[in-house]
Amino acid sequence: MDFELSSTQRALLEALDTLLDRHAGTERSRELAELGAYDRELEAALREGGFEELFGAEEAGPLDATLAVERIAMRLGAVTPVPRMLVLPALGLEPPEGPVVLAVAGDPGPIRYGAQATRMLLADGPRCVLAELDPDTAEPVPSAYGYPLARPVSRKSRELGPGTAAAMMNWWRVGVSAEAVGMMRQAMDIAVTYAKDRKVFGRALGSFQALQHRLAELSVAVEGARWLVYEAAFSGARAESAAVAAAHTMAALGRVTRETHQIMGAVGLTTEHDLHLWTLRMQTLRTELGGRRGHDRAVVAARWGRAS
Amino acid sequence: MEFAWSEQDAAFRRELVAFLDRELADWQRSETGLGSAVYSEFSRAFVGKLADKGWLTPHWPPEYGGGGQGAWQHFVLGEEMWKRGEPRGPQYMNVNWVGPALIKYGTEQQRRTLLPPIARGEVFWCQGFSEPEAGTDLAALRTRAVREGDGFVLNGQKIWTSYANVADYCFLLARTGSTASGRAGISVFLLPLDTPGVEVRRISGLVGEHSFNELFLTDAWIPAECLLGEENEGWRIVRRTLAYERVGAPRYARAALVLDRLAERCREAGLFGDEGIQEQFGAARAQCEAARVLVYRVIDERAKAKEPSPLANQARAAMVLAERAVGDLAVDVLGSEALAEGELGDAQFRNSLGAGIAAGSYEVQLNLITRLILKLPKD
Repeated sequence: MDFELSSTQRALLEALDTLLDRHAGTERSRELAELGAYDRELEAALREGGFEELFGAEEAGPLDATLAVERIAMRLGAVTPVPRMLVLPALGLEPPEGPVVLAVAGDPGPIRYGAQATRMLLADGPRCVLAELDPDTAEPVPSAYGYPLARPVSRKSRELGPGTAAAMMNWWRVGVSAEAVGMMRQAMDIAVTYAKDRKVFGRALGSFQALQHRLAELSVAVEGARWLVYEAAFSGARAESAAVAAAHTMAALGRVTRETHQIMGAVGLTTEHDLHLWTLRMQTLRTELGGRRGHDRAVVAARWGRAS
Repeated sequence: MEFAWSEQDAAFRRELVAFLDRELADWQRSETGLGSAVYSEFSRAFVGKLADKGWLTPHWPPEYGGGGQGAWQHFVLGEEMWKRGEPRGPQYMNVNWVGPALIKYGTEQQRRTLLPPIARGEVFWCQGFSEPEAGTDLAALRTRAVREGDGFVLNGQKIWTSYANVADYCFLLARTGSTASGRAGISVFLLPLDTPGVEVRRISGLVGEHSFNELFLTDAWIPAECLLGEENEGWRIVRRTLAYERVGAPRYARAALVLDRLAERCREAGLFGDEGIQEQFGAARAQCEAARVLVYRVIDERAKAKEPSPLANQARAAMVLAERAVGDLAVDVLGSEALAEGELGDAQFRNSLGAGIAAGSYEVQLNLITRLILKLPKD
């Protein structure tokens, strides 16, 4: 057991931060969101920096890739790190250029970058289907939630081997939770900083115990989620571990959204303020894989077997 | 970062589990019998066996009857014990912090006389902290110790003292400074409970027959050798030795085990097809796991001999939530069957009522997180 970053992991995250300073952040995110665009430059920079190969790298591994996914989401990188850095490598597939998206058969809901993506991994029963998408026929769905949403249309597809769907879903759970943890930490930071600075009734907003306890409880939830995600990644996205991490993360996500906005007050509801850049995107993550309820049921299936 | 057990720790757990499965095969802790005669007799015999294996005080230095083992082995021991309803009884307190406090602050004579019986599993200790007017606000305690001759005269009252009915000694906090001295006027006394002027009275409680006691001290004289550390140094001693005690009882391990049994019960009753029930189980399991991983993070700090940090407050808060989640689930899901005396649900629910109160209330954990981790301004 060792709960500290190794020197290699620290160096990795520093290098990633330097890259994200140039290719991500609030301004870049706002520009791209305006255009509904995917960040091909960031994708290329991550590829060239070797970050897409962390999962299988000898001196790194899935945990390191997961730490990177968390960091990219925290910095609002407009790419698809979960499929590129976790799911595809877990299935032994090379990520193609351009956005890749994940979906579950039978869920017709719009997905992030559904109109920009050229490839989609679809969990269909025990197998994955790798589909080529036709961006021209995708149906964009207007939405305020940060990521461009659309219902993709596949052109042709091929089935992968049996068991691939489980691996895909487990890594997806870990990945989307890592993204959520990164975003929640950022939203919390914003709210805590504001609570220290903002004066109300002649004292700091954060000096009111009614708010202090809520923020403290959030920190317990978010830290629990964070370490569950790391442990799940380390375990190779074992089914129970992955579902537990996702269940706890998504339970925290709803509360973090509510409380950070409550503390920010009206200013947090303006587009001028940055909080929404994280909190609105978080709602998209919240819907994936059946959301909190779906993850909770996945915990039961993994730990105690199917019903009856 | 690494989340795997070392081969040594994993082997230790395997050996321990096999031993416990054998030793505890016929023993069902009477869940509401904390401090009861049956429970205490069992514990006394059981800790003797642990001592023979070297598993009672494995993390103590060898010169005081310990095995010189690391923090993780000590913790594995606690986890496996707590899972099974803590068959060591009050002995876990001796092992976790009474002994270490004696090792760190005791005189050579105190160590020589008091440590070996603990390491052999022969004595029980209880914790004399809370008073009617000083619980969560412990520094308000009023029990007085006044120098007289070669010793001290104790007067006052302690309350909520688990195991006082069976204990041989009490690790007692008393005021040696002025009434207004607050934290700076408190001392620790190692009080033999057979001292004249000490009286134990039982308080009927919701958890166990003898889980609560009152301890009355009326002109109880004890020799000066019963003072631990310097006079008026008590607060510092307790803070240091109890720093890890917030996670000393791995309550999530018990909650997780109860949850497994409840799942089995639900499956047998044909209730597990219900999605709502599944979701409550999934969320409760996740809460137990979150508590576990946050506690492990604290043990990692301990294993690296770092200063105790406020991460323990987060871990403790998460444990409280885990115990409550499983207690609530039991009643929600099993219905009135859960309420029968001694039922799994009954025990979990009633135990969970105390989870956020003992060893520093839930709100105190939140206050400390606020101040030390989030660094929010004070009122």
